[in-house]
Amino acid sequence: MPHESLLPVALINYISLSLVIFLIGVAGVVLRRNPLIMLMSIELMWNAANLLFLAFARAWLNNAGHIFAFLVITVAAAEAAIGLAIVVVVFRSRENVDVDEVAILKG
Amino acid sequence: MSLDVHQMGIPGSYPALFVIWLLPLAGAIACWAFGPQLKRYAGVLGSAVIGAAFIAALVSWNIATQDSGSQLGAEQHLFTWLQGFDFGLLLDPLSLIWVLIITGVGFLIHLYSVGYMWNDNAIARFFAYMNFFVFAMLTLVLSDNFVGLLVGWGLVGLASYFLIGFWFFKPSAVAAARKAFVLNVVGDVGIMFAIFIMIAKVGSVRFADVFANPHALDPWLFWTCVFLFIGAAAKSAQLPLHTWLPDAMEGPTPVSALIHAATMVTAGVYLVARCAPLWLASHEAQILVGTVGALTALAGALLGIAQWDIKRILAYSTMSQIGYMIMGVGVGAFSAGVAHFFTHAFFKACLFLGSGIIIHELSDEQDIRLMGGMRKRTPVAFWSMLSAVLAISGAPFFSGYFSKDQVIYGDIEHGDLWLWAIGLLTAGITAYYMFRLFFVTFMGTYRGDLKPADVGIETEVAASTAAIKHETSEPHAEDHTHAPAWLMAVPVAILGFFSFAAGYVMLPGNSPWAHFFAHSFPLERLPASTISEGVTTGIAIVMLIIGAGIAYWRYATPEALQNAPERLKRESETLPAILVRLFYWDDVIDWLFVKPSQKLGDFFGQWFDPHFVDGVVREVVFSNRFLGTVVRSFQTGLLRAYALIIVFGAACFAVYYALEGAMR
Repeated sequence: MPHESLLPVALINYISLSLVIFLIGVAGVVLRRNPLIMLMSIELMWNAANLLFLAFARAWLNNAGHIFAFLVITVAAAEAAIGLAIVVVVFRSRENVDVDEVAILKG
Repeated sequence: MSLDVHQMGIPGSYPALFVIWLLPLAGAIACWAFGPQLKRYAGVLGSAVIGAAFIAALVSWNIATQDSGSQLGAEQHLFTWLQGFDFGLLLDPLSLIWVLIITGVGFLIHLYSVGYMWNDNAIARFFAYMNFFVFAMLTLVLSDNFVGLLVGWGLVGLASYFLIGFWFFKPSAVAAARKAFVLNVVGDVGIMFAIFIMIAKVGSVRFADVFANPHALDPWLFWTCVFLFIGAAAKSAQLPLHTWLPDAMEGPTPVSALIHAATMVTAGVYLVARCAPLWLASHEAQILVGTVGALTALAGALLGIAQWDIKRILAYSTMSQIGYMIMGVGVGAFSAGVAHFFTHAFFKACLFLGSGIIIHELSDEQDIRLMGGMRKRTPVAFWSMLSAVLAISGAPFFSGYFSKDQVIYGDIEHGDLWLWAIGLLTAGITAYYMFRLFFVTFMGTYRGDLKPADVGIETEVAASTAAIKHETSEPHAEDHTHAPAWLMAVPVAILGFFSFAAGYVMLPGNSPWAHFFAHSFPLERLPASTISEGVTTGIAIVMLIIGAGIAYWRYATPEALQNAPERLKRESETLPAILVRLFYWDDVIDWLFVKPSQKLGDFFGQWFDPHFVDGVVREVVFSNRFLGTVVRSFQTGLLRAYALIIVFGAACFAVYYALEGAMR
C-alpha cells in the first residue's frame, strides 16, 4: 500500500495534474507548427513524467523515482540543446521554421 | 589361352624410375622459369634432360626385364590415394619400349628442334612445352593403374593443345588446337567410364588387380573395352574421331614428329596392348577394335592420296599406320602391333623431320606442288626420307617390312580374312601415296618460282599461306643467325638409318623382340593359318611394286617430269571430290554436333537467358519496387504526422493496459 499519509494531497490529484500537463504537451506537439513551441510542449511532457516519478517516489518511499527525475532533467536538457540547434540550422538555411514546410525527407 | 603372362611388377625401390620420370618435368620447369635468361640455351637444357632420361631408361633395362617367374618388371610404390587405391610406377618390357622411344626419338627431335626453332623468340616456351609433353607421356606409360594412366592421358592432351597452338597468332592454329583438345576429351571421358566400371566391379584400378580376372567385369566387360577403346580411338586418331590429327599439323614440324607421329598418337596402341587380358576375354571387343583399325588404315591411306600439303599427307599416313597398329593389337597380335609402333616411330619421325628440313629450306612452303627437285638442295633429307619411304611402304629389308608383315600376317593367323585383305590393299595404297610424295617433292625441277595457279593451286588462301605466315610470325630474334646445319641433319640421318635397321631385332623366329616380349602378352594357341606367312609377304611385295609402280609411272618417268606442272594442275582439277572433302566427315560432324551445339547456344543466349534468367531477376526487382512504393507512402516527411502516429501508438498502449486492469 502506498503511504498516502506522507503526501500533502491525495495521489490521484498528482496523477490527474500530470495527465493534464502531458495532454497539453501532446496537443502542443501535434497541433502547433512552430518548432520552438513544439520543443516547449515536449518539455511539458517530460515534466509531466517527472511529476509522476516524484509523486510515486514519495508515496512508495522509494528513492529510485528521485534518481530517475534527475536523469529525465539531464536528458531533457540534452534534447533541448539538440532540438534548438536543429531549429537554428534550419532557420539559417531557409528563413522559415514552419515544420510542415520542412519535409524534404518525404519518401 | 596360356596363363604364361606376368603382369605385375616386382615391388621394390627403384630410384632410376624417378630419374626417368621427373627429369623432363624439371627441364620443363627450368625452361619455363628461366626462359628469358636461357634463350637458346633452353634448347640445350631441354635436349639434355631428355637425353639423360634416355640413358636412365637404358640403364633400367635390367630392372624392366627382371622376371621372378610370376611377376615381370619393376613396380615402385608412390603413395596411397584413398584406402585401397595405390599409385605407383610400373616399368615392364611394354612400358620400357615406349619409354625408350619417347626419350630416345624424343631426344633426337629435341636436338633437331634447337635448329628448327633457332630464330623463334619463344624458343624457351617451346622447350618448356616439349619437356612437359615428355613428362606427361612418361606419366602415361609408367603408371601402374588406370587413374594414373588417365592423368597422363589428359596431360598429353594438354601438352598437345599447347604445342599445336604454339604459334597462337595464327587463327587456324588456335582452331586446330581447340579441335584436338575437344576430341581428345571425348576419349578421356570414355576411359573415365571404363574406370567407373572397374571400381564398381573390381574395386581397384591397378592393372594387376583388374587383369587378374577380367571376367570379374562381367557383364560389363565388353563395355569396359568399348569405353577404353573410345579413349584409344580419340588419342590415336581412329575413325570416327580422327579429324583432329590432320589439323594438328598447324603446330611446328618437330611437334608433329614427336607428338602427332612417334609418341602421343600411339598411346591408344599402348592402352590396347596394356589391356591385352581384357581384350582376349572379350572377342566382340577384339572384332570391334580390329575392324576400326583396318578401316582407319584404309581411310587414312585413301585420304593421303588426295592431299597436297606435305605435312597433311604425312598426317593421314600416320592415321593409316596407327590403324595398322590398332588392327594388330585388336586381333590379338599384340607383339606385332607394338613392333609396328617401334619401327613407325623411327620412319615417321624421320619423314616429318625431313619434311621440316624442306619446309625450312623453302621458307615455310608446305605445298608439294611448289616443291620439286629437292634432291639436290636437301640431300640429307632426300637420302633419309628415301629410307623412311621404303620402310613405310614395306620394301624388303627395311624396318616397316618386318613389322607390317607381322601385323598383316597376324590378321590371317587369328582368322580374320577381311582384315588381312584390307591390310594388303592398304599396303599398296601406302606405297602409292608415299612414293607420290617422294617423287613430286624430290624429283624433277624446282617449281616454287611458278605461279601457284600454274600447278593447280586454286584458292587464294592456299597460295598465300606461306606469305601470311611470314607477315604474322613473331618478330625474329635480332641476331638473325643460322643454326649449325648438323643440328637438323644429324637427327634426321640417325632416324633414317634406324628406319632401315630397326627391323632387324624382329626377324621371324626366335628374335630378340620375341624374347623381349615373351612373357608380356598372353599366348594363344592358334590353329595353323590358311595362308602362310610366305604367301602374305609375297602378296605384300606385289602390292608394294604395283603401288610404287603407279606412282613412278604418274610422277617420275622422264616424260612426266618434263610436264610436271601441267600434270599436277590436271590432277588437282580432277581429284575426286569425296577424297578432297575428306569423305565429308568434317561436314557430318559439323552437322551432327557443331551446328546443334551452336543452335543450343543461340537458344540459351537469345531466348533462355533474356526471358528466363533475366525474367527471374526482373521479378525480384518488380516486387521490391512495389513493396517500396507501399512503405514509402508512410514517409510523408511531416514531423507532426510522425508525432501523431507516436501519440496514437502510445494511446493504444494506454487503452490496452487500462482495459487489462479493468478486466482483472
